Amino acid sequence: MTTDFADGRMRLTVLGGYLGSGKTTWLRHQLHVGRFGPVHVIVNEAAETGVDDVLLAAASGLTLLAGGCSCCTGRQDLIDALRGLCDQRSRKASDEQRLQRIVLETSGLADPGAIVAAIQGDPVLVNHIVIEQTIVVVDALHGLAQLQTEPLGRRQIGAADQVILSKVDAVDPASLTLLRATLRALNPSAPQSAAVLGAAQPLLDLAPDAQAPALPPLSDDDTRGAIFPTRLKIDESIDWSAFALWLSALLHARGNDLVRVKGVLPTPAGRLLLQTVRKVVQSPEILPAQENQSEDGTIVFIGRGFRPEDLQTSLRRFAGRPTGLGQKT
Amino acid sequence: MCNACGNPAVPGHWTEAGADTPGDRLRARFHRAGLLDKVLRPYGLTAHDGGVVPGIQLSTLSGNQSIVPDLSAVWAEAERLLGRPIDPLDPVFLHDD
Repeated sequence: MTTDFADGRMRLTVLGGYLGSGKTTWLRHQLHVGRFGPVHVIVNEAAETGVDDVLLAAASGLTLLAGGCSCCTGRQDLIDALRGLCDQRSRKASDEQRLQRIVLETSGLADPGAIVAAIQGDPVLVNHIVIEQTIVVVDALHGLAQLQTEPLGRRQIGAADQVILSKVDAVDPASLTLLRATLRALNPSAPQSAAVLGAAQPLLDLAPDAQAPALPPLSDDDTRGAIFPTRLKIDESIDWSAFALWLSALLHARGNDLVRVKGVLPTPAGRLLLQTVRKVVQSPEILPAQENQSEDGTIVFIGRGFRPEDLQTSLRRFAGRPTGLGQKT
Repeated sequence: MCNACGNPAVPGHWTEAGADTPGDRLRARFHRAGLLDKVLRPYGLTAHDGGVVPGIQLSTLSGNQSIVPDLSAVWAEAERLLGRPIDPLDPVFLHDD
């Protein structure tokens, strides 16, 4: 990619997934086939010794952050590395080719949501970097077992924009369906795709009635109930300003319970893609017009501690519209 | 970023997205401030955005004023003034009165 993005900022892809889920394998193949174009790769490993960096020679630049997970102990190292990239890029003359894309491969212990929050909370980086998407790799073989026992595994899925199922050649179709239904229950807005050794594999559509096995509640969500997804249809009488007012208040008061909010809304400037991870809202992005816009105006909320029907009532009250309560129709 | 006032610290608050032209932006600011004022009044706060200076002016009914940069800051300031956050899922917003 030779041209800069219109807003002059770099695009960052966060690649997450549990330990051993196949993140590096997937990324290595994607670099080989040129999915990201010229890209700088940052690899984070929780262990002191890095191994992955030698596998990723196809990247046009590589930074290894070893010895500390970048969502917690190694956060400052990550911020410093990203600031260094921004610095180098700013020093280039305007007619030179500048770095456009960064891929951050997180350690298997990282919560992508925390990394997104750290980057957006940094006053320098927000001016240089737009977080484009969060891709989470899920091990088709062990994913279900991890989701049943690991809160981290569930947080990673909750933060995903896109889920890649790895090692799909090693499982039977029935358990793959179970896993996919579980992933859909945890994050209905993330499209799923499959890969073997990084190469994309065809994946059949998941039947809408596929049942997800019940996940046992984990210790960190015992008192507040399980995380569940819900969809909120925003009708035309509620404009973007009113919705943003309401959502900003909701995130301030309930941000820790709202794992994810995602959807496309019509605004005066065009279709706006909105996504949040906990209290952090990614820079909204104007999407090009599409033929099929039937999903516009439907916002997915993934969270806990509220009744789904209250969202609509509360939003209408904030927007100064009749709530529909007490009306006899 | 301006060294004196720190504006704009980030490329626009997310709630201000979706308006490309100066006219749209100004309309959205007035509209937002009007809606916000209606929400805050029952709490004894008022909001005003004249469209000239950056930020939203919050006042208490006793005349205490502050200017906050964006909606996230509005809710944080309201929580400071009230001693509790304004929760849209609070029962007061869920019943017709």
